[in-house]
Amino acid sequence: MLSLRDIRKSYKLGDAKIDILKGVDLDIAVGDLLAILGPSGCGKSTLMNILGLLDTPTAGQYLFDGDDVSNLTDVELSRRRNLKLGFVFQQFHLIPRLSALDNVALPLLYRGMHERERKEVAREMLLRVGMGERTKHKPKELSGGQQQRVAIARAIAGRPAVILADEPTGALDSNTSNEIMQLFKELNAQDKITLVLITHDPSIGAQCQRQVRMKDGAIQERT
Amino acid sequence: MILKANVTEALVSLYGAKQRSILALIGIVIGIASVIAMVSVGLIFQQETMKHFRELGTEVISLSTQSTGASGYGRESLSLTNSLLLPTRVPEILRVAPYVTGMSDAIIEGKKFSAPCLGVTEEFKSLTKLTVLQGRFISDLDEASYFCVLGANFVRKLAEAGITEPLGKSILFKDRVFTVIGLLAEVPQGLFRPYEINEGLTLPFQLALRITAESGARTVLARLRSEMDWRAAEQGVNAFLVENDLKIQVKVQSAEEIIAQMKKQMEMFTMLLAAIGSISLIVGGVGVMNVMLVSVTERKTEIGIRRAIGAQQSDVQTQFIIESLTLCCIGGLIGVLVGIGASYLLARFNAWDFFISWRAVGVGAGVSTLTGLFFGYYPARQAAKLNPIEALKG
Repeated sequence: MLSLRDIRKSYKLGDAKIDILKGVDLDIAVGDLLAILGPSGCGKSTLMNILGLLDTPTAGQYLFDGDDVSNLTDVELSRRRNLKLGFVFQQFHLIPRLSALDNVALPLLYRGMHERERKEVAREMLLRVGMGERTKHKPKELSGGQQQRVAIARAIAGRPAVILADEPTGALDSNTSNEIMQLFKELNAQDKITLVLITHDPSIGAQCQRQVRMKDGAIQERT
Repeated sequence: MILKANVTEALVSLYGAKQRSILALIGIVIGIASVIAMVSVGLIFQQETMKHFRELGTEVISLSTQSTGASGYGRESLSLTNSLLLPTRVPEILRVAPYVTGMSDAIIEGKKFSAPCLGVTEEFKSLTKLTVLQGRFISDLDEASYFCVLGANFVRKLAEAGITEPLGKSILFKDRVFTVIGLLAEVPQGLFRPYEINEGLTLPFQLALRITAESGARTVLARLRSEMDWRAAEQGVNAFLVENDLKIQVKVQSAEEIIAQMKKQMEMFTMLLAAIGSISLIVGGVGVMNVMLVSVTERKTEIGIRRAIGAQQSDVQTQFIIESLTLCCIGGLIGVLVGIGASYLLARFNAWDFFISWRAVGVGAGVSTLTGLFFGYYPARQAAKLNPIEALKG
């Protein structure tokens, strides 16, 4: 459903042109559990941003569910992010002022869903990630692992086709990491959500059915 | 539903940055409060002035003598006889009340007061709508009897000096002994009511001429016959004066004319005050803009998160505009209350009739909304234009 063909991305830094991605080809099918591995600076975050429709490639073709992304307007990209994608970040990125429940309900607001329905769905999602007891807590009252669970609940609240997770366990200890990974695997297996994980941790990668190794802006190895 | 969520979020976010929000509010509150207070005090004052005129009736006019230049300087005066002839000679004029004014020392029970005096005929009382509290007013039958009627403020002054119940007592005024025959109720000051009514002694006209060494009245109050035009009255009086070879001209001031002038002045005054209020609002608005810009910068990550989970540029823009609107409307609401409170105090202090000017409240509400929109637009646009990736980096 996601198809990248010879994706290139470069930035201008003064007079110098820096190539971050140097021709990436990648296909992600429905139900995949894919890990993108690589050292920092290899371009995996840029790839993630492009996959997540937050950034557009300099060259190459990205077909998102059959649509060429380069033809889409900002509004269309926003709609797709809202309806088809879920994001999980290393820093959790919850909104500090809002309760866990409101954070999870937020993506649904942008679909124009009514408050009562939003909260209902959000409560269900928090229950799903094992945070049913902490709906009223603010992010800072939660541990790292708990915050990431809330973030995952937010990512799945909109019932997305794909979850993009950027170093989701990067800020967590190994026990919590394993729990989060367990949750991801469950979501992949039970809810048939396609999962793309970016990590530099090979042990995380090893738990995924597909692995792609990146180096220096290109894919080096696929398993 | 997005609107409701946005307002709730705006309140939460403004509450979260309490100190900053309050500082921005102060500017808006002062701006709106001054607009409201100024506009409504202006209107109250206007109403008050009108009330005085209406009380006297618009058919009252004032004839003041003008120097013709032929006999040197100063204003000529019109003799009592000639004044009293006016109703019979000028068809527009129904009644007249000439008056003459002066100033001297009044000694009563050995205490000395400086007091103005006013020489009038009996007609003066009904033309200026005076009320006698005790005793009676000057009568035309008094002719040159040494009688006087005291104004309310003069009576108050006497009481402060320990002289009570002045009715029937004697006053030495300009070396003549007068008997107090009446006390007047206080009257609001209007243009046609000389201030001597409240402040001093009212005497029979002819007596006042002797005391002041005047030869006649410089001002004659007159009542027009109903439906008569004051301009015609002016022409009629001047024609009469020329006919009698009196070398005097009069100028008429009518309530109608004065009200129109005053209205014009008040409108300008109100506009000026509103302009001053608007300037303070602009300053307040810049404060709001500043707060909103800081808020956008501080919440870059949040904006990035919202964009990532599907907020469109317009969603982000709406959110921040609503936040700025909320801030300005809260400021506006407090400002309206403060402004009304201030105008209430001012009205009370001046003993004016207080009323809430809905026009001013409407102006306040409209202006605060516009301020919120105008000064919130730029920061909101900045927020909406942020690149999601850059924003997520914080």
